[in-house]
Amino acid sequence: MKNANKISALILFAIIITISAVTLFGIKGESSGEFPAITWENFFDGDFGRELVSYTADNFAGRNELISANARLESSMGESIVNGVYIYENRLLSVDTTPKNTDKSAQAVNEFVKNYNGAVYFVAVPTSSGVYGNKLPPYLLKSTEKQQIDSLYTNLDASIRKIDAYNILKMLSDNYIYYRSDSKWTSYGAFCVYRTVIQKLGFMPVSYDKYTIEHITNNYKGNLYSKTQYMESKPDLLDIYEYSGGAEVTDCKGYDNNGMMYRKSLYDREMIESEDMYRLYLGGKLPLVKIRTNVANDKKLLVIGDDYAVCFVPFLIQHYSEIAFISPDCMEKKLNEFLNPDDYEQLLFLFGIDTLYSE
Amino acid sequence: MVYSSLLFIYGFFPLSLAIYFLTPKKFKDITLFSLSMIFCGLFSLKFLFFMLVYTMVNYISARLTYRLKWKEQKYRKFMAIPFSAGILFNILSLFAFRTELFSWILKPFHLQIQNFFPVGISLFTLSATGYLIDVYKGRIKAEINFIRFGLFVMMFPRLIMCSVVSYDNFLKIWRKRKIRLTELGTGMEIFVKGLAKKIILADTLFSLYSAIKSIDTGNLPVLTAWLGATAYILCLYFTLSGISEMGIGISYCFGYAFPQSFNYPLFNSRIRHFSAKWHVQAVQWFRKYVLHPFRSVINAKYINIFISVSLWILMGFWYKFNAGGIIWGLIIGVAIIIESRLKNTRMLKSTGIIYTFVVTTISTVFIANSNISESFRYIWAMIGGNRIIADSLTAYLFRSYIIVLLVGIYASTDLFGNMINRINKTRFRIVTLIVSPVVTVILFAVCTAMISYTGSSENMLIQL
Repeated sequence: MKNANKISALILFAIIITISAVTLFGIKGESSGEFPAITWENFFDGDFGRELVSYTADNFAGRNELISANARLESSMGESIVNGVYIYENRLLSVDTTPKNTDKSAQAVNEFVKNYNGAVYFVAVPTSSGVYGNKLPPYLLKSTEKQQIDSLYTNLDASIRKIDAYNILKMLSDNYIYYRSDSKWTSYGAFCVYRTVIQKLGFMPVSYDKYTIEHITNNYKGNLYSKTQYMESKPDLLDIYEYSGGAEVTDCKGYDNNGMMYRKSLYDREMIESEDMYRLYLGGKLPLVKIRTNVANDKKLLVIGDDYAVCFVPFLIQHYSEIAFISPDCMEKKLNEFLNPDDYEQLLFLFGIDTLYSE
Repeated sequence: MVYSSLLFIYGFFPLSLAIYFLTPKKFKDITLFSLSMIFCGLFSLKFLFFMLVYTMVNYISARLTYRLKWKEQKYRKFMAIPFSAGILFNILSLFAFRTELFSWILKPFHLQIQNFFPVGISLFTLSATGYLIDVYKGRIKAEINFIRFGLFVMMFPRLIMCSVVSYDNFLKIWRKRKIRLTELGTGMEIFVKGLAKKIILADTLFSLYSAIKSIDTGNLPVLTAWLGATAYILCLYFTLSGISEMGIGISYCFGYAFPQSFNYPLFNSRIRHFSAKWHVQAVQWFRKYVLHPFRSVINAKYINIFISVSLWILMGFWYKFNAGGIIWGLIIGVAIIIESRLKNTRMLKSTGIIYTFVVTTISTVFIANSNISESFRYIWAMIGGNRIIADSLTAYLFRSYIIVLLVGIYASTDLFGNMINRINKTRFRIVTLIVSPVVTVILFAVCTAMISYTGSSENMLIQL
């Protein structure tokens, strides 16, 4: 027995030292996430320790392999829920049981709309768990996203026109409207909702057969995949919808928080090579993107949205001469410092319901 | 940073062990003390300051009591002052952090203490208070070496839920401390055992329990309710004993051989056995320091009843600081008394395990819920008050968690340990030489994988 202990100790310490050394001196080369800031408050409140724990986890040697092994193990050992993700036959669904509400977001939107003169539209998009909720174990369905969206819509100011995306998507749930490895909708999902939204905004939608669709990659692995590193089906497709006979973008500029201007296009194909492929749409994290087109109608639209909106905006360019896209996530200053909202006669809010919980 | 985090297992622990190992013997204590300060500081500096103040107050209080008792005999009658000041400080800080008392006192001053809980306070308060009482009674000398006393209160392998030991026992362990490969081996094996209990079993069982907890108690079928209660009692056992074993294992690696706190308490044939094996050190502490003095006051006829009931009530209160904890203790205590009065004990041989399991599981419902009426509604569901036996969800949960439940039940008995011991006595000893390291390494790898996403497993179930 004593000898067995010695053997275990030697093996374990060999493992610990090897893994620590590999983690510390890194085969990856670059570290992900920021090293926790060394400040008095951080130490005093214990944030430093907490952040250091997650920093270690983010940069741990063989992290992805470990997460993947764990997903296989846990889903065979217990329920198929791993790190808050339900592994269903052919897709991953986010499972979050913490109670949440959208009251704060509704308040912020109402506050903003009060000082704005044009017409306001609001689309709240469910996540894949909202549309495919019936695939989840029943006890997780206490408060559905349908209810969340309904309560958000009743809390929003009466002057705001609310557009129901939930039922459209629910009806089409047999189609490829959501990524299998991500909680977001696909371009096709966005297109299906676009058809309804654009009518409310006062235009006729461009029909599906006018578009040529390019599969830009068939290897997209989304936010849910990064939590499990494991799924039973193939990775996802990222699509670009091109309308060759339609309006064209004449000018597309992105601005960062310091007002620096970047030349952009609707799609940034180089992002396919990067860690975060989804930044393909509108070229990633900038607070403001302004798009001008050769549509000759002098109509201007302001879109305020999140990751759900970036693949939606390309459909809108057929109808407006100018579109400004604001993403509050990346914004560090007040909106008025970027542009004057009253220059735009229509304002569209488009958010995933999961973004609206936190704000 | 708890023991069950990547940062501790792969960073702080091996690093501090190496530093400690390389330090000359003369400076080992101060090194370990400094390492413990860093450990506390990584929780938060608030915690470190609190620990240092706490240790200082107890140190000074004991020194003063000791001096007044033995050195300045004419002031002997004043020795109760520093003693009671120390005790009061300990008990007040325990109540302050375990209950709402603190925020209630601070309310008029508009001060708020947010996100601050000195982890392990319930255990080191027991140790420190026991030490003060021993000094006051004259059983031991007050420690003059602050570093050594500091190690007793806040050495990091002991800080979170390790065994409660009296100071003279601590000194015995301290004198015998030595680092050799055998100690390292034993320590690592205990540590991995505790780690696996916490991460593999307790955390998985907790997700089963919280799944059942999310169902409305008014519609809970009988079998689901029992599944949830079973998951909770196993989870409680694995959390408490797991964290405590991790601490003991680390202490072993540093050469300190602290006693175990849990000795396979579940699935015994008597409640008496459960009570003799559950959280042994803490139970003994309450017996020795709180209830022993009553022996001279109360009639010998009733003393056993009084002691077993109030002992478990104290334990329950110490766990939860609410009425639910008291009811838990009351049920366990009364069950022990009833059991000791039973004439026909032969019957218990076969049915004992079931009866013990039922009593402990039902009583633990009061620990699981913070609200008493909710506990009663849960027990109502367990005895079939909702008129549903099972539904599709029961089947689903049962199917999903059956492996973990069976492994958990097996691991909470001494069957595996006995098997290894029995094999060791035969000529197949060589088998354990291979099996035991292989099992340990596999468990360790699985634990690492299971915390690789979040980096740690922090749920303690009850904040001790």
